[in-house]
Amino acid sequence: MSEFSRLLFRPWRDSAFRVLALSLFVASVSLTAILLLRAELESRFEQRTAEMLGGDIELDSARPEDPAQAELLKQYDTSRNVRFRSVLVEGDEILLVGIKAVDDQWPLYGSAHIAASRFADTTLIEHGPQQGEVWVAEQVLDRLQVKVGDSITIGSLALPISAVIRQEPDQGAGFYSMTPRVLMHHADLPSTGILAQGSRANFEVSVRTDNIDGLKNALEETLRPDQEIDTVGERQSRSLGPMRQMTLWISLGVLLIALLCGAAIYLTTSLRVARKARLAALLRTFGAPRAKILRRLLGEELIAILPAVVSGVVLGILLLLFTREVLGWSEPLAAGVSQWMAVCIAPFALFSAFALPRLSSLVQIPAIRVLNRTAEGTLRRNGLELAAALVGPVLLAALLMGSAFELLTLLLLLGGLGAVLPLLLWPALRLLERAASKWTVSRRLAIRRLSRRPATTLPLLAALSLAMTILTLAGLTGTGLLADWRQKLPDNAPNHFVINLFDADRDVLAEWQSQHNAKPEPLYPIVRGRLTEINDEPVREAVTKENDQAARALNRDLALTESATIPVSNQLSAGVWHGTTPGEVSVEKELAEGLQLNLGDKLTFVTSRGELHTNVTSIRDVDWESFAPNFYFMFSPGDLANEDVTWLTSFWLPEGDGQRLAQLMQALPHITLFDVNAILDQAQQIVKQASQATAVLAGLLILASLLVLSAALLSTARQRQADQALLRVFGAQKSLLRSINRLEFLALGLCAAGVAVLMVLMALMPLAALLFDGQVPGLRWLLLPPCLGVVVAAIGLFTLHRQQATPSQLLQDN
Amino acid sequence: MARKIRMQNSPQQHTNKPSDTPLLEARALCKTAPGPDGDLQLLDSIQFNVATGESVAITGPSGSGKSTLLGLLAGLDTPTEGEILLAGSAFSTLDEDARAARRGDICAFVFQAFHLVGDLTAVENVMLPLELRGIKNPQAEAEQWLERVGLSKRTHHFPGQLSGGEQQRVALARAFALKPQLLFADEPTGSLDHANGQHISDLLFELNREQGTALVLVTHDLSLAERCHRQCQLDAGRLHE
Repeated sequence: MSEFSRLLFRPWRDSAFRVLALSLFVASVSLTAILLLRAELESRFEQRTAEMLGGDIELDSARPEDPAQAELLKQYDTSRNVRFRSVLVEGDEILLVGIKAVDDQWPLYGSAHIAASRFADTTLIEHGPQQGEVWVAEQVLDRLQVKVGDSITIGSLALPISAVIRQEPDQGAGFYSMTPRVLMHHADLPSTGILAQGSRANFEVSVRTDNIDGLKNALEETLRPDQEIDTVGERQSRSLGPMRQMTLWISLGVLLIALLCGAAIYLTTSLRVARKARLAALLRTFGAPRAKILRRLLGEELIAILPAVVSGVVLGILLLLFTREVLGWSEPLAAGVSQWMAVCIAPFALFSAFALPRLSSLVQIPAIRVLNRTAEGTLRRNGLELAAALVGPVLLAALLMGSAFELLTLLLLLGGLGAVLPLLLWPALRLLERAASKWTVSRRLAIRRLSRRPATTLPLLAALSLAMTILTLAGLTGTGLLADWRQKLPDNAPNHFVINLFDADRDVLAEWQSQHNAKPEPLYPIVRGRLTEINDEPVREAVTKENDQAARALNRDLALTESATIPVSNQLSAGVWHGTTPGEVSVEKELAEGLQLNLGDKLTFVTSRGELHTNVTSIRDVDWESFAPNFYFMFSPGDLANEDVTWLTSFWLPEGDGQRLAQLMQALPHITLFDVNAILDQAQQIVKQASQATAVLAGLLILASLLVLSAALLSTARQRQADQALLRVFGAQKSLLRSINRLEFLALGLCAAGVAVLMVLMALMPLAALLFDGQVPGLRWLLLPPCLGVVVAAIGLFTLHRQQATPSQLLQDN
Repeated sequence: MARKIRMQNSPQQHTNKPSDTPLLEARALCKTAPGPDGDLQLLDSIQFNVATGESVAITGPSGSGKSTLLGLLAGLDTPTEGEILLAGSAFSTLDEDARAARRGDICAFVFQAFHLVGDLTAVENVMLPLELRGIKNPQAEAEQWLERVGLSKRTHHFPGQLSGGEQQRVALARAFALKPQLLFADEPTGSLDHANGQHISDLLFELNREQGTALVLVTHDLSLAERCHRQCQLDAGRLHE
């Protein structure tokens, strides 16, 4: 065996080193995966912000821009596109899709990723489909059982599929982007017959310009209530929010894993240092200078940890590749030199922070200690260790986060968790000890072992309960929550929504519904309008935008409706329902609070036909979960008579084949039909993927906690053995000792499980109140923390199993 | 109730006259251990007895087998040959649990390294064997014994907060709180300086006298050994009186 392989493999005989190496391995996997994943997310985000917007500035309207605006935009490079949703029908198959009609200038930025067939390679192309052809996403091919070359019918126009669209540069986010995509040419749009006055569609004008602010200011002066301007800068800061939050929470999880591993590394290194102290003192007696001792001992340790670090990094990379595969990311790896350097540095930074200062104390051992058995006891904690323990987490957090602000947020979150959880757990542990004073001696002694070692017990309890909570929530949301909620929906709850119905369509729909035993719900007239004034004061000045819901209501067209009767799913909370009295409106309660609306307030809306004035006479509580159409503003009947009205309704359709819906779509090609089950299936799939990722994180967190437990058991093994031997000397039976150990670890595991159950319940309470009529969903998942608690206890006992002591050891220890 | 306990547990004055009945008896005790060149004879045909209330010192050079003999006498280990009787009954032939139970009923220990439980306060350390024996209100009794060894103001200190002498006094309180018939003391002053060592040995013999406890003392310290009724010398595994 070569010297190198001897240095590489010999330390593995030491149980403390095995725990140390496993800790470094887990930390390396987690740190590598998160660093590379972050690089991927950032790269994809930066590259696509301008592409997503479609230009430097975008004018988004509910109908085409005014001639004055078109004149203003003439001097710029522009691209005009229309986005809308529709249902495609082929044989028995129907599919809700997001359709984009693009002009010849599209895209202003970026390229479209297309393929010649379902499994062909991706080609980048800088224009959209030609007139008379259509590009569709792979899901469309799969769901409708069609292939490139076949035709699909959009509205009343059949178009041949000429390519598979894999990615659009301005795909965007939100519901539109969740649906399978179809791209067609702008010039084909009129022939489809889909869009008519009042239809729901987005007319977008993307502009390429360096003069973003100038154009924005000029456009703002001409802006209609249904129009919005978006710029690259605004989009970037807005879209960054969710991504930052996501990476922040993942980074916090990974940092916790790394720090727990760091704690295990520190504890096991202390053991290894104690074992090497005699060698260090011996080397000093042989005349070795301190630097040489340090080089030799540190060098050996650094070589020994290499396999753990390398295999951890490799597994982290494989984890990322697997994630990319699952998410269908086909671009080259995004990580640059700096990220790869961070991947290589991170495990060693962790080792440096938590092991090197302890190892360096070996050089402080005086040669005379070689004669003295207490040499191990002279390895005092030094200031360097404290400094490294404080700087290490900050350094790691800095590697994980992109900016000083994010770093600060992460450290505050970490500090909060590190301080709050132990602070909450400490009194609970003391109470448990007090209660235990009346219990049997084995229980008393077991609880005392936990409560008297708070420095070990509290971080362990906090880490274990956090990991159990995350794992339970991940399992609960990933497998059952949405399904449970769907099961709770009443029988015959509407499972289809229809919008963009015109007056003439109502009879056709009613006939179709009666033919197919569909259970109809009331029809509501819909007028698109924007709230502009409250009590004659412009609404943007009258209302602060602190309330999210209010801000959202102000920034978009709202669906206004009228009704003489209050819907079954609504309850009046203030005022008097308007009935048939004209000029009155009823407002949804939360929105009224957000907009600070009171009974008697005068509201002004702008619609496609001009201004609409009304008075608030009632406030309603709305059951959004009812699956019936619900509205923020409900006007008196007749108030919307002069507006461009379309109709909205929902209905329940019994299980059956898609042919029935196909008939409806053929009869009414311009309507938009939502299949609630299909949307929920898709949402369930997304939630499942997210929860699987969370479960991996929680699994690593539990593993890291168990490593700390193992390291703590190893480092206190000597003391534990002495305590056990002492109890034997006092006459304690073996069964009593076994019972104390069992109870100690069960108490640790079950305490953590108890805290986890509490945290899960706290997390679920709002959900239970909102969606499950106050009943906590997925109660069976609450069995997971106690089961994990028993597993923790079993692992603790297994680790302890090899640490049995004989009472005569107390004499030999003298 | 507290008064009753105080009455029951007040250290009593005893004459220091040993009884003729052997409390502990070792017959033809041998102990061998495997070595690189075959079995090593650690103890060879040891005959030893201690009467009730008697104090016996076992001295001898390092490696002579003192700790091994003490371990055998206290039932912490089993002899290769021979047998040990405790209070007239077979002891060394019992299984480990039965030996532990009997040891807990009759014997107590004082160690050179004190062996206090680091996570427990002084009073909790004294309470520990009382709790194991199922004695009611162990705290009152433990506090009384700590007062007896002069540590009434240190009851809630942890071992790390006590000096070596104080730790050994806690160990003495822990040992005598059980009111043992037989006390094994393994180099009880070995980790202490001279003054503290002197103080501890005074206390040990004082309590030994008061409680009428038999004492088996292993020590290097000849002056300590001379305070016992009998001294035995262990040399190369053989015991000489």
